[in-house]
Amino acid sequence: MILEVKDVDYAYKSQKTKQILNHVSMQFEEGTFYTLVGPSGAGKTTFLSLLAGLDTPVKGSILYHGNEISHQVLNYHRRHHVSLVFQNYNLIDYLTAEENVRLGGGKDPGKLLEEVNIPREDWKRNVLKLSGGQQQRVAIARALSSEAKVLLADEPTGNLDENTAQEIIDLLKKTAHELGKCVIVVTHSRHLAEEADEVIQIKDGESV
Amino acid sequence: MNHMQLAWRSVIRKPVKSMLLLLVVCVISVFLLSGMAASNASVAVQDKTRQAVGAGLLLVENEANRHTRLDRITEKIGEKEGSLDGVHQKKLETADGPVWMSYTDSSFETLRLEDIEKLAAVPGISDYNIATAPMAVNPVNFSRIEDPDLDQTGDKLGVSLIGNRDMTMDFNVLSGNVTMKEGRMVTREDQNVCVISEELAAHNGLKIGDKMEFNDYHDRENADAHAAEIIGIYQVKQKMTPYMSGDTYRSENVIFTDLRFPEKAEGAEGDPLFEKAYFMVEDVDQYDAVKEAVKKVKIGWERYDLIDNKGNLETMSSNFRDLQKISQIMIGVVAGASFVILFFVFLFWLKNRTQEVGIFLSLGIPKQRILGQILLEAFMIAAVAVTLSFAVAPGVSKITADYLVSQQIEQAEVEEELNEGKVAKSGQDPEQEVTGVHVEITPQMIAFDSLGIVVLITTSVLTAGISVVKRNPRDILTS
Repeated sequence: MILEVKDVDYAYKSQKTKQILNHVSMQFEEGTFYTLVGPSGAGKTTFLSLLAGLDTPVKGSILYHGNEISHQVLNYHRRHHVSLVFQNYNLIDYLTAEENVRLGGGKDPGKLLEEVNIPREDWKRNVLKLSGGQQQRVAIARALSSEAKVLLADEPTGNLDENTAQEIIDLLKKTAHELGKCVIVVTHSRHLAEEADEVIQIKDGESV
Repeated sequence: MNHMQLAWRSVIRKPVKSMLLLLVVCVISVFLLSGMAASNASVAVQDKTRQAVGAGLLLVENEANRHTRLDRITEKIGEKEGSLDGVHQKKLETADGPVWMSYTDSSFETLRLEDIEKLAAVPGISDYNIATAPMAVNPVNFSRIEDPDLDQTGDKLGVSLIGNRDMTMDFNVLSGNVTMKEGRMVTREDQNVCVISEELAAHNGLKIGDKMEFNDYHDRENADAHAAEIIGIYQVKQKMTPYMSGDTYRSENVIFTDLRFPEKAEGAEGDPLFEKAYFMVEDVDQYDAVKEAVKKVKIGWERYDLIDNKGNLETMSSNFRDLQKISQIMIGVVAGASFVILFFVFLFWLKNRTQEVGIFLSLGIPKQRILGQILLEAFMIAAVAVTLSFAVAPGVSKITADYLVSQQIEQAEVEEELNEGKVAKSGQDPEQEVTGVHVEITPQMIAFDSLGIVVLITTSVLTAGISVVKRNPRDILTS
């Protein structure tokens, strides 16, 4: 077990009475492809943010390899334990594809870009000049360049056409099954959810 | 990819943002440098007086010592009527009870002749002049020039006499303001002679060789009249500033006489009031040595001020001390305004780079490192901007300094115009004019400017960065 969520509660600081997550507990294994599904506002993205160490729960704890993530090591957790892929790609707009991948860590960016099928002639192009699908593949390559064992993705196919979305799904599955990483994806896509090894449903802030 | 590489790429690949900051920093740097250069500008002043007189030393009474002496003598006299060393004390009965009044005569106020002669004997002093204070006397056989619209009630209804040992060294003559129209000036051999203004001569139909009579204005009817022969008629470039208010001291009514005539006309022969003594240094190259020798002469120096030939220039530079003040204010205003402008520039930067900051945070890069990158980018741009400003600043500094000096001159002229005839002065102001303003950007200024820019940028980035530091990564990413 790589990640464990224990009895986590979350509420916004400005609206403390409105509970976003209620006593959520889960466990995640390496080499498994998880999808988090549920209606809008159910707390899926919030849950992913807590796993990523972008925010902290009001109550409960999140453990990585049995060690609790605390405020002091959130940067370290984000740098070394998890990597993130977003719906809007979140690439640095003044860098090339290769330079964006390099930001993720020390691995050979060319090899990673090859793995995610980015043509060599596009490696040195500014990322904004690439297509949406290519940008998302660059974002995945950046996530893979990290030594992190957990890949978290928030609606990674949300902005992509069907064919490109399938390519991304295949990449994520490959990441889990061939690279042995724990891949957790928040999605509204039924198709993507069906591709997962395990589907977790969140409704009204609780795991169902 | 390290900090430096990221910062460099951001600077180069986001040219609009970089150019905006470059422009702002360059302007700030130019203004800071101009302020510093203007505050250190050397204003070249042509002092026509100094050119005319060459090197000389002026002896005048020390005002502070005058008060000390007066207090000491008054104390010695005590609470009784009496006179001592030129100080007189009288008891006046008033409605509120008795009041003690003290007044002085010329023997208290005058420069001592023996002291003047001792200084004149110092080797290196080629000649000297003694000038009396303007002395009010009554015109007996002529009429003075009056302003018909002026109330003469408080006036002494006289004319004023200035005695000179050698009129060519009178300050009004040395300054170039008084020149002869006819006849000659008073020399040390002359007795009972005078030089009058062309206006007074025309007003009374007087000519060289005529005799003018004067007596004590305190007793116009009975006091003995003293005659002085007119040996010259003078003209002025601009009216002499009145010694005191009233037509007695107006420029046209000033009459130059031989040294001892004023005291006779006033009815106080043997009680002169020598106000100034001027010592001419023979060899200008020996000026400092002669000055030191003069200072070593044993006289009661506490009574006197010795003004050297730089006196006029010091007065002139004191006017331009305002230039330094204005420049320093300018530096302060520029620094304050720069901080505000830079703060908003960096706030704008950070607002536009929120997503980038969020991405870095999601990659586990600490906030301080992200701010560090922003700071690094700012320094890279600032380095270019400051270098550019070094090229532009000399020209801008010159324009700034010229403008500030011209404003100062204009202001001084307005003040002079407003004060004309209202402020008492003991002589004609020297004719001085600004012939050039020299500004220089020194390495020290460049160092201060660079340091100032570093401080301004650092504080602005850190202040603007508070908005980032306070928020959690998730809020930044979702905003």
